Amino acid sequence: MNIDDFGVDTITFAGSLEAKLAAMRGAGFTQVMLSARDLAGHPEGPAAAIAAVKASGLRVTGLQVLRDFEGLSGHLHAYKVDMAKAMLDMCRASGSKLLLVCSSTSAHASGELDDRVRDLQKLATLAIPYGIRIAYEALSWGKFVNQYTQAWEVVDRADVANLGLAVDSFHILATGSALDELEFVSPDKIFFVQLSDFMWRDTPSPQDRIDTARHFRVFPGEGVHSEKLVELVRLLDHMGYAGDYSFEVFNDDYVQLPQAAVAERARRSVRWLSQRVSRHSLPLKRRGH
Amino acid sequence: MTIREGNPESSNPLGIDGIEFVEFATSQPQALGNLLQMMGFVPVARHRSREVTLYRQGGMNLIVNAHPNALPGMASPDAVPALSAMALRVRDSAYAWQHAIDMGAWEQTPRVSAMELNIPGIHGVGDTLIYFVDRYRDFSIYDVDFVPIPGAERHPPALAGLHYFGLVQSVSADRSDDWIDFYRRLFGFSVLPEGQYFGVLPKGTLLESPCHSFYLQLIEPPPGADDIVWEESLVRIGLGTPDVLAAVRALQSRGVAFIDHKSVQPTDKGALTQVYLGGVTFELVVSHLQPPTLAAPAGAAREQRP
Repeated sequence: MNIDDFGVDTITFAGSLEAKLAAMRGAGFTQVMLSARDLAGHPEGPAAAIAAVKASGLRVTGLQVLRDFEGLSGHLHAYKVDMAKAMLDMCRASGSKLLLVCSSTSAHASGELDDRVRDLQKLATLAIPYGIRIAYEALSWGKFVNQYTQAWEVVDRADVANLGLAVDSFHILATGSALDELEFVSPDKIFFVQLSDFMWRDTPSPQDRIDTARHFRVFPGEGVHSEKLVELVRLLDHMGYAGDYSFEVFNDDYVQLPQAAVAERARRSVRWLSQRVSRHSLPLKRRGH
Repeated sequence: MTIREGNPESSNPLGIDGIEFVEFATSQPQALGNLLQMMGFVPVARHRSREVTLYRQGGMNLIVNAHPNALPGMASPDAVPALSAMALRVRDSAYAWQHAIDMGAWEQTPRVSAMELNIPGIHGVGDTLIYFVDRYRDFSIYDVDFVPIPGAERHPPALAGLHYFGLVQSVSADRSDDWIDFYRRLFGFSVLPEGQYFGVLPKGTLLESPCHSFYLQLIEPPPGADDIVWEESLVRIGLGTPDVLAAVRALQSRGVAFIDHKSVQPTDKGALTQVYLGGVTFELVVSHLQPPTLAAPAGAAREQRP
């Protein structure tokens, strides 16, 4: 593995979008996972944010995140479809070929698998004309989908080419999910992998997982689940996953450090992982790049 | 063609029944019109208020939309004419539109369309639109917006049995599966088995309409073509004819030139015209599909009255 396989989520850093992009570039990264807030919250507006991304020369890994989309009905569904369309427009404008969607936490969502499948099929279909792929992630506090196996069940059942799975190591580590089921996932249906760890062994309740996820993540190699995290990346590599990895590290300390210091930690994490996982097959061409 | 049995409703939820019209956008309506007339189309009516002309031959309606905003970039006088829309005949256009929206289509954004009549549409590939038309049996949508061209035959016969066979769409690398899902989920198209091709350009993926009367062909960029600018769009009309070589002769006599070299030359299976106006070609494909019934036989009968 090398640094070109990895990007960093902008949410990992403090400061302006330009400062974040410069820090990533400075540390040798070649791609960036954008947050929709980077565009919407830019003081000079979304067009300036997009211009900054383009000027950085960093490839856009994807855009996050569409929340609480699936399983709603009536006016709530219509509202979320509007939000989804707006985010697809943002993907298109920013050159992002991937939209990250995390599993619903809404108390208003239906618990029926068929409803989730139908809604994600619809979202994926909306994304087709724009050439955008939808990566569906199991949030570890999702109401009905909180394990990657459940997210995969939806993706597999939906059977739409541009809908795939987003694997997030944090949520797998937080729920203590076994990795063996991952081997049943078709590697070309894994669209994206987010990596992070945390510094205590267990997060027993959903609230523990939420608090840890939002404030206390660390880079791979800095936490206490290194063995399992390496096992996950080795397994993905062994399965033939050839897509992007991104560090998504929500951490209250990192957002009060200089961006360059955090980017250096990210670079160190790449080195740490590369020493433990040697990517055995680099593809000639990756889809969507 | 094989004869299919079974309940057509189950595989054709929208009641798709062929192509009602295909639309070109152009800033060169005269030049494109001349080309279309060489291809056997006849200008039969003009729009009441816009620079839009209806061409027809046999069961084919073809609209030339010369409004500068018909497509992005079309205001430039030397813009290459581009396919900008296809209209599908359906059982109930409002139902078809709602079904498509519910399944994940984008409703068309307002733009200067060829029709003032409200024809529901959704986004297709690139900047193109897909319309749904349900008035094609005993009422013609063109009666509302168009005025017949004096002296023109309203229902000119098709040259050499030409009829719409399908449309060719370019897709980006590795995107065929996405577009297969698009046409399969929204309209009920199905993929023909690999190796089943028509015409002289056997490549890409062929999708058959649920009414089994026309095809979409998806073409990815050729391998090693990373330097080619390859945008997703509708690139070509396929015209079916029962006798390709007879059609080639008939068209050649009208001045149409066909590509004729080793890899692509007219055969009894198909033929490809040369590129006109910087990017317009027509493909002929052997086809024994019955040309659809004329749009307005009742209107045609009325015309014959003194």
